[in-house]
Amino acid sequence: MGEMTNTPAIRIEGAQKRYGKAGGFTAVSDVSLTVTAGSIHGLLGPNGAGKTTTLKMLLGLVRPSGGTFEILGEPAGPAVRARVGFLPEQPYFSPLLTATELLMLHGRLSGMAPADVSARAGELLARVGLEGRGTARLGTFSRGMLQRVGIAQALVASPEVVVLDEPASGLDPVGQRDVRNIMMSLAEGGTTVLLSSHQLSEVEAVCDEVTILNRGIVAAEGAIDDLLNVAGRTSIRARGDAPALPADVQSLMEDVAVSGGVWVFSVPDSAVRAVVDILDDNGWAIEAVVPKRQSLEEYFAHMLEQPHDADAAKGVA
Amino acid sequence: MNRVFAIARAVVSDAIRRRIVWVVALFALVLAAVIPMLPSYGVGVAGAVYREIALAMTYVAAMIVTLVLSVARIPGEIERRTLYSVLARDVRRWEYVLGTWMGIALTLGAAMVAFGAIIFGVGWVVYSVPMWLLWQGVLAIWMEAAVLAALCVAISTVAIPVIVAVGALAFLFVAHVRADLLGGPENPLWYVYPSLDAFNIIAPVSHGSGVSPAYLAMMALVFTGWVAALVLLGALGFSRRDL
Repeated sequence: MGEMTNTPAIRIEGAQKRYGKAGGFTAVSDVSLTVTAGSIHGLLGPNGAGKTTTLKMLLGLVRPSGGTFEILGEPAGPAVRARVGFLPEQPYFSPLLTATELLMLHGRLSGMAPADVSARAGELLARVGLEGRGTARLGTFSRGMLQRVGIAQALVASPEVVVLDEPASGLDPVGQRDVRNIMMSLAEGGTTVLLSSHQLSEVEAVCDEVTILNRGIVAAEGAIDDLLNVAGRTSIRARGDAPALPADVQSLMEDVAVSGGVWVFSVPDSAVRAVVDILDDNGWAIEAVVPKRQSLEEYFAHMLEQPHDADAAKGVA
Repeated sequence: MNRVFAIARAVVSDAIRRRIVWVVALFALVLAAVIPMLPSYGVGVAGAVYREIALAMTYVAAMIVTLVLSVARIPGEIERRTLYSVLARDVRRWEYVLGTWMGIALTLGAAMVAFGAIIFGVGWVVYSVPMWLLWQGVLAIWMEAAVLAALCVAISTVAIPVIVAVGALAFLFVAHVRADLLGGPENPLWYVYPSLDAFNIIAPVSHGSGVSPAYLAMMALVFTGWVAALVLLGALGFSRRDL
């Protein structure tokens, strides 16, 4: 990762957003997060968790009801936003503009000279897999191509901080891999990336740290392994021809899944050695023994079962 | 101002590619060509009647193009979220509003030059006289259209396109009935009434010798006042809006 500094790239303290007066809708109740400079920080949460509203408040698109917002150590006003690139969720651009015209617009809005933007546009379009499409109107672009050109516009002014809202949305697996590579190369170059997503695989692959939002509050924050690993349990994957696992193992296992002779289940950490020995003695092949990790979906489902108050939700982490 | 110009430039690039602008221009060309064939021509007034009809036609075309370009511009950008990536940059809301109006006004200017060239050219060919005064009328129409665009942009920062369109048409009506409602300058409300009559110079252009440079200057002053007030209003409305 890139060079770290003491000043956080992004700092949000006590963000709140209420729509309407008394009794109105509260989109964000209390969100605080700190993004280390040069890191890739994931902002996770189910739909309606407040991710996009938090980003919009940070970027001046929505007026906060409360809280403080800083980017690169400065209040998050228009001036410092010159150093930020933003990819909105499901970006849509004027269908009558060409890809190059779009990048020219955003480059010039960022104060770049036309010649510099022109050179940068060609380089960026190649980087996002749109080489040779600069003169094509955006109205002819597919959803995935719009996503790619959206990423290019976010990067056109070589920002120090990049905020990406669901960047893999609409992309095929190759496109998703390309986006991951772009994020990692940005971080290697010292750029800070704040990635908002509800796709665990996307976040897991690139993020150093995550903040999980639920119902407008921070439900958890930290390293993704720390958040999703289930303390005290280990996951075992074994293959065998027998119709059932040995009885001694059955008494210890939970979360069982079976497919094509492959069994996946979890056991207490203290029983791992014994379970592996039993399986081995009974002719089973052990394919994997890894710390038990819950899926993001399981994690969210668990969170949604928690009491609906901030203190209890924060206790999830 | 570079950001304002960049936004205006993008608006122009987008607007001139809209088919409706070219359809209206083509329609204007056809109409201009058939005006001399109208039967109600008297000896000696054919040129004046041509100028009057040509300018009236240009006025209608200009208002149509204005409404098409400005009524849904900002609401559409909000709905499609195309302005998120713009306003997330070092761009103030007032710069966006001003740039949008400027882009529409420039596009209207180009359209007016095209319309003007058409009616001027047809007039010259048919009557063998260059009707330079037509350009005064075209300038006045452009100013009124640009004011209407500013009104549409201002309302559209806080309202949906239907309301913007209704508001714009109501404004056009109200702004041209001052004399009918108030009589004359002796009425104390005369000078505060929202009127666009200053831009209505079709009669002196068609049947007289046009308007004086002083009148043109006064027209420019009224234009500047209207646009400044409306763009300011739009910027204020937009600055408080959540996107």
